Amino acid sequence: MWLRRLSTDRIERRSSERVETFVVVASIKGAQRITGLTDGAARLGLKVGMGLADARARYPKLPVVEADPEADRRLLEGVADWCDRYTPLVGLDAPDGLLLDVAGCAHLFGGEAALARDLVTRLTQQGLRARVAVADTVGCAWGIARYGKPGIIPRGETKAAVLPLPIAALRVEAETVADLKTSGLTCVADLDARPRAPFAARFGKSLLLRLDQALGAIDEPITPRLPLPAAMAEQRFPEPIARETDVLGTIEHLGRQLVPALDRRGEGGRLFQTALFRADGKVHRLEIGTGSPLRDPARIRKLFEERLAVLGDACDPGFGYDMVRLSALVTERCDPVQTGLAGSDHAEELAHLIDRFGARFGLRRVSRLVPQDTHIPEYAAAAVPAHAIKQVPSAPSSLIEQDSLASVRPVRLFERPELIEATAQVPDGPPISFQWRHIRHQIIHAEGPERIALEWWHDDQGNQLTRDYFRVESKAGARAWLYREGLYERETPNPRWYLHGLFA
Amino acid sequence: MGPTAPQPTLNRLRQTLAEIDPSNAPRLAGAERLIGLADPIDRALGGGLACGALHELAPTAPINLGATSGFALAIAARASGHRRQVLWVTTDYAAGEGGGPYGPGLDLFGMASARLLMLRVPKPVDVLWAMEEALRCRALACVIAEMTSEGAVADLTATRRLALAAREGISAQNSGLGLLIRHKITDMPSAAATRWEIAPALSQPDAYGGIGRARFDLSLRKNRRGPSGRWIIEWDHHERAFQPALSVGVAAPALDRPDRAPLVRAG
Repeated sequence: MWLRRLSTDRIERRSSERVETFVVVASIKGAQRITGLTDGAARLGLKVGMGLADARARYPKLPVVEADPEADRRLLEGVADWCDRYTPLVGLDAPDGLLLDVAGCAHLFGGEAALARDLVTRLTQQGLRARVAVADTVGCAWGIARYGKPGIIPRGETKAAVLPLPIAALRVEAETVADLKTSGLTCVADLDARPRAPFAARFGKSLLLRLDQALGAIDEPITPRLPLPAAMAEQRFPEPIARETDVLGTIEHLGRQLVPALDRRGEGGRLFQTALFRADGKVHRLEIGTGSPLRDPARIRKLFEERLAVLGDACDPGFGYDMVRLSALVTERCDPVQTGLAGSDHAEELAHLIDRFGARFGLRRVSRLVPQDTHIPEYAAAAVPAHAIKQVPSAPSSLIEQDSLASVRPVRLFERPELIEATAQVPDGPPISFQWRHIRHQIIHAEGPERIALEWWHDDQGNQLTRDYFRVESKAGARAWLYREGLYERETPNPRWYLHGLFA
Repeated sequence: MGPTAPQPTLNRLRQTLAEIDPSNAPRLAGAERLIGLADPIDRALGGGLACGALHELAPTAPINLGATSGFALAIAARASGHRRQVLWVTTDYAAGEGGGPYGPGLDLFGMASARLLMLRVPKPVDVLWAMEEALRCRALACVIAEMTSEGAVADLTATRRLALAAREGISAQNSGLGLLIRHKITDMPSAAATRWEIAPALSQPDAYGGIGRARFDLSLRKNRRGPSGRWIIEWDHHERAFQPALSVGVAAPALDRPDRAPLVRAG
């Protein structure tokens, strides 16, 4: 498929007044050259690649717009997203083409011809001029869309269709085309009729590769833009739907179609995506991940419900969605589990709750504390996303020896130790009072120091100081975990004090 | 689990059994689940802290947040037994302001960190939503939620919703125990079954003069089914049980008295 006037169409779609004739220019090798033009401008005899100065010499009042390749690319990607409605296999063919693999999907639209018509009509409605060719090979379709008569090339007639095309239709460089032209070779048939070896010697392998690809002698795969789902189901609507309950109902309905496909493979989905195709061409994609393989349509619906609830206005249905697709992007083996009659451990229910929290707030926000093999307090327990933990560790692997009646580690730890003012009778002795958040606390019990030196590999600036931790109890009974940063006189003349945690 | 109403003796026996192995308790139909704290408190609470209800905790001073978290975790440890999970919900702001549960500390305190699930949400209203959902989940023994300052979003309507969710939770054979920690004491009306103000109490030093077991100075400011009061209890993290430590007066003035006397707090 070729969007022949991509950049001018983009500008025309935006502008309110209608200008028949204008060109898009970009500076190429120091000169302003035309990179895109409207049909009106083409009728004046202007061409892509022509210098702006030449064009201005002929038509001094020619309106000019600066090129924006980034916006063109975004538009192309938007159209590619939208083309997802025809087939999941959409490849970008920058700067202005798209490759669609419609093998096996065309019958859903009433055949290849009907599909191509539908595609052109819908794109025209959106203000995009497109030429569509359907052929057995990518090379043939590419050439026909640009240089031939757009339409359907029936199976087996590829060669007949490609041979009369000009050599430029083979996707070769302009210089090669010009060189061949000087030798009197202008169309593909000229090339195909002659011995191959001299061409390979003169122009390299790429020319013959392109020829073979166009004729189907060498297979050329389309690289899809988006990962191909393991399983998918979709639903089209003659009248667009806009209500959230309708969308969710559709998702559940699609889930019921998707699950048998997953069942047959003995798998469940770990990552689901719903693509909502808005009637005006925009596509919303929502993704949800799960902690364990899932194949329950009602739960899939519930997770998307959470996702939609958070997105709110970010997912604006506009005039409604005319197609909804549910796909399982990542799947995982899922063996049926025998559930006890009593249903005692409710593990599945918990997994679903975690998934729902994940769908609403992001999977990283649901975590578990996993002990780490380090003695640095703040790294001793890491918050690991719950969905990444397969087996809940049963026994705590505590590294710390309990040497007194009171706990030696606090129940609450501050993310950042808080700077406090503390006084001690001797500079390296235990503190006798401290002030935290403007309140002074008199210490009557202090246990310590527990000396914790930072691991040398964490010492990136070479100035990590040793910490002396004290467990203290204030006169009122408040128990806190303080530390003095730096050994007095050996590491620093003025050690600072921090409050790192609170005991029960 | 017969169709007939359980006799009081049977009920009491089940209660004892539930305290020995709380994981068995939710299967008892009809019998109300209670989490036993310490003797004098249980009398005031009518047997123990009621499951299927919401309870509010608040520290009397910012530094007492440690004791408040400890009390909540101790209740959670008693409610969860050896197998069931506990959820801790907090906001990003609350975690930045007051830190969060610390794994090694929890293990030493008697609440296995492996059974704690943490959820961090962006906004306080999300805490309410998550707590409501979690209270209905049968896999959770206890849901602890945290709110900075007075937790103004947890107003009467919101707490009523939570209390209802907790009650629904218990009918689904769940403990439905919700603990709401407010970082600051509040007089806001609430549908919680109890409201506690928590301060630590000086511990009993061990033989070598070191800091002893965690002691809590608990003020029960609001109690739907009995008198309010004030007690000092001690947490034995090894036995995972509370013990009465020292009693200071039993009948404190009710919180909603019109001419409220200023609170007197013992050191």
